Amino acid sequence: MTALAVPVGTLTRRRARTAAWSALAAALLVVLTAVALGTGQVSLSGWDALRALVGQGDPGNVLVVQQFRAPRVVSALIAGAALAMAGSMLQRLFRNPLASPDTIGVTGGASFGAVLMLATGASQQLIPLAALGGGLLAALLLGGLAWRSKMAVTRLVLVGLAVQQGLAAAVNLMIVRFPAELAASAMQWTTGSLYGRNWTEVWIGGTAIALTALAVLLCQRRVAVLDLGDDSAGGLGLNPGRDRLRLLLLGITLASLAAALTGPVAFVALAVPHLVRLLAGPPTLGTLGLTALTGAVLLLSADLLVLHVIPVHGLPVGAVTATLGAPWLLALMIRQGRPPQRST
Amino acid sequence: MTSTTTTVESVTTANRLAAHGLDLRYGDRTIVDGLDLELPGGAVTAIVGPNACGKSTLLRGLVRLLDPAAGTVTLDGSDVHRMPARALAKRMGLLPQQPVTPEAITVEALVRLGRYPHQRMLSPWSKTDQAAVEEALARTGTAELRDQQVDRLSGGQRQRAWIALALAQDTELLLLDEPTTFLDLRHQLDVLDLVADLHAEAGRTVVMVLHDLGQAARYADHLVVLKDGRLAAAGPPTEVLTAELVEAVFQVPCRVVPDPETGTPLVVPRSRTRSRATGR
Repeated sequence: MTALAVPVGTLTRRRARTAAWSALAAALLVVLTAVALGTGQVSLSGWDALRALVGQGDPGNVLVVQQFRAPRVVSALIAGAALAMAGSMLQRLFRNPLASPDTIGVTGGASFGAVLMLATGASQQLIPLAALGGGLLAALLLGGLAWRSKMAVTRLVLVGLAVQQGLAAAVNLMIVRFPAELAASAMQWTTGSLYGRNWTEVWIGGTAIALTALAVLLCQRRVAVLDLGDDSAGGLGLNPGRDRLRLLLLGITLASLAAALTGPVAFVALAVPHLVRLLAGPPTLGTLGLTALTGAVLLLSADLLVLHVIPVHGLPVGAVTATLGAPWLLALMIRQGRPPQRST
Repeated sequence: MTSTTTTVESVTTANRLAAHGLDLRYGDRTIVDGLDLELPGGAVTAIVGPNACGKSTLLRGLVRLLDPAAGTVTLDGSDVHRMPARALAKRMGLLPQQPVTPEAITVEALVRLGRYPHQRMLSPWSKTDQAAVEEALARTGTAELRDQQVDRLSGGQRQRAWIALALAQDTELLLLDEPTTFLDLRHQLDVLDLVADLHAEAGRTVVMVLHDLGQAARYADHLVVLKDGRLAAAGPPTEVLTAELVEAVFQVPCRVVPDPETGTPLVVPRSRTRSRATGR
């Protein structure tokens, strides 16, 4: 046997690295949260901001932090985490490093739902629900159109792209006919933004996302078995087509819930799994936490840029994640110098 | 070299896989056509035949990766396609022809996945699980590779890691789809010896698709010869593997001589040049 010069203890090293990066991401998350809560027209120190969040200190500060800033910050954290987990799951299920809500129809579906609601002039409060419905509609289309080929991975990728393009086209058709004011509102919803979140939305969305994330967590063994290819998965007692569809629905639900909270923010779901892969190795149960933390940090950082650094009023956070995220991801890939995912 | 000439007495009745009027199709194409077949339990069966004769398809049908268009597959009398997937996966393990190695997975992590059918959703990793993994690693000689990445191993090592996964599944039946393809001669023999040991020492019933007739005759107790999706012959290699059969199935004129090492039949194709030379 030829002994390859690979250092021993790969698993242990990966676990240590995952733990270290998770701790760092968690620390970063606390700091950024404090900064986000403390920054604005009323400026607070990070410590005062965190105290105000739990109702301590000057009543004026408590009001500003709890009622105006916190819902937005918490929305960013929840949606970022959900998008990142969904992206990681979708990339594994599609065996494709480009799979993300943006390429399989969730973005198109959520935008479609939101814009349809705007078009009918229904209450603004129904828009998150419509975005969720639109995302799930995309999932239905995907499952329905790929089912006959037993959810074969190659077919899913193509069907996903077609669903995305079709729904995006429908969205554009509607927006073109909108009056300017409505079009601006539609633009916010289809790009993904964090303006005007309130606690009711955060609680409902957050609870739904937490429950879905828990289900994702419980299904990780199944995902790992599906990673072995359909034949092996079948030999190990899975029904690859049916199980892939179920897991796919779970991933899409997670992404759609995030889209309901913030609109379909681009790029977080695509980029975070790759970043985690570079930091801590291929996706496992252990890297799921790091993935969620990284997504939360990324979306909150992007929102901080939108609010306090970039001097454009009303810029949707999705525009920033895409413009800054793309070159950053490219740079990471080039530095790494090897393909991000091997197919066999 | 392990002797594989198992006596008829040691062939038990349990773990009998059988096909009854089995039709297997891909779309409109019929690959396996009305096959009746009984595979002995407790034995090593090799399925052989020319390319595209349906041997891999048959194996896929037996482990129900493919639903039959007609007919049934039974395991000890009960319909395989009506058994719960997990229950079947506890009895039958599979090494597919082209398994997908997840990116950067380590040997041990791969082998651990073989325990999936034995685990419940929230059940923690048990001592039984770890013991099965350790035994699988030990038997396949991959214990010292456990921390290495599977996608960086040589072909032979990788194949043994995959066999270890199937072993950790702890099934009485083991089905292998062309386990020696893409391996050089030495690693082919390594894999086949490993299979022979699994049968001899661990009492596994083995069904494998093979290309090489000499290897099939050497390592199998029972030979299934397919041609165009139908059964051409089945039985012990010494009885089945005749010059007439090989010529009829493979269209290769040949002589069949006893293998000088084991006495099992060895197919020696007739030489075109030599017959020309003698004819002159």
